[in-house]
Amino acid sequence: MNMNDFRLDSEPKINSGFQIPENYFETFSEKVMLQLPEQEPKVISIFQRKRRRTLIMAVAAVLVIALSVPIYNNLSTDSTEIDAATLENYITDQSTINQYDLISVLEAEDIENIKIDSNLEDQTIEDILATNGNIEQIITE
Amino acid sequence: MEEKEFIQQLLNPKTQNEAFQKLLSDYQRPLYNHIRNIVLNHDDADDVLQNTFVKVFQYLKTFKGDSKLFSWMYRIATNEAITFINQKAKRNGTTSEAMQSKLVENLVSDTYFDGNAIQLKLQKAIAILPEKQQLVFKMKYFEEIKYEDMSEILGTSVGALKASYHHAVKKIELFMTKD
Repeated sequence: MNMNDFRLDSEPKINSGFQIPENYFETFSEKVMLQLPEQEPKVISIFQRKRRRTLIMAVAAVLVIALSVPIYNNLSTDSTEIDAATLENYITDQSTINQYDLISVLEAEDIENIKIDSNLEDQTIEDILATNGNIEQIITE
Repeated sequence: MEEKEFIQQLLNPKTQNEAFQKLLSDYQRPLYNHIRNIVLNHDDADDVLQNTFVKVFQYLKTFKGDSKLFSWMYRIATNEAITFINQKAKRNGTTSEAMQSKLVENLVSDTYFDGNAIQLKLQKAIAILPEKQQLVFKMKYFEEIKYEDMSEILGTSVGALKASYHHAVKKIELFMTKD
């Protein structure tokens, strides 16, 4: 072995040479404490906030659906449903459907409603009685 | 205080803050030195040390007590520091080995490195060692950690650690002797 050979154990200990900024450790723990995740009770509060948000979103969704139902119905009326006027014309013009047929499909409640609706003026009733020749037959029935 | 009792304090929400403050004040310096020896510059060491303590706090619940608290923390710090170097190398599109050498080059202009020619040369010699030998050499030579503790930290047998250190010393002496 050469005299000039470098021997770690015969050298005075070589330190790393790293320096640390002054007061670094005095502020370090505070810096870390601020970064720690929230503790249990606060974790629950985040959860509750999440739940509240879910609730708000659910209410919003229900509102959107509720508001869109009439719009949807209006849209579909045009295509698939028969409006009241068409229905009335159909019943009036169809000779095969008579008043007995109509009565037979109506519930007692429906008939009650018709009575309320057909609140005719006296004059109109008189006109009908005067012009209808079969009135006696209808009354006796 | 028994270590088990201290861990209980760290886990109990009522005593947690105070216990963690104590953990910080006991371990911030040794863990800083350990990390600094791996990442070399102060700002990076600061980042990694903060991450280390945040992870320690997060994973305390899962600490089984199979090893000592101190070696468990050293293990986290080591992983964090090595991961940091690897990610830094990846971001710069280079290898971890090349990044090590670059970090040593940077020491010349580092405000917080007050090394003379021999100290700088020693860092250069260490930087070209395999990763495990670097780690073992730094922990033994600079940090003076006992082989038994190092064995628990690194999960390597004492015999293998002694062999690693021996190889590291030989290579470093060769590097320091030539040129």
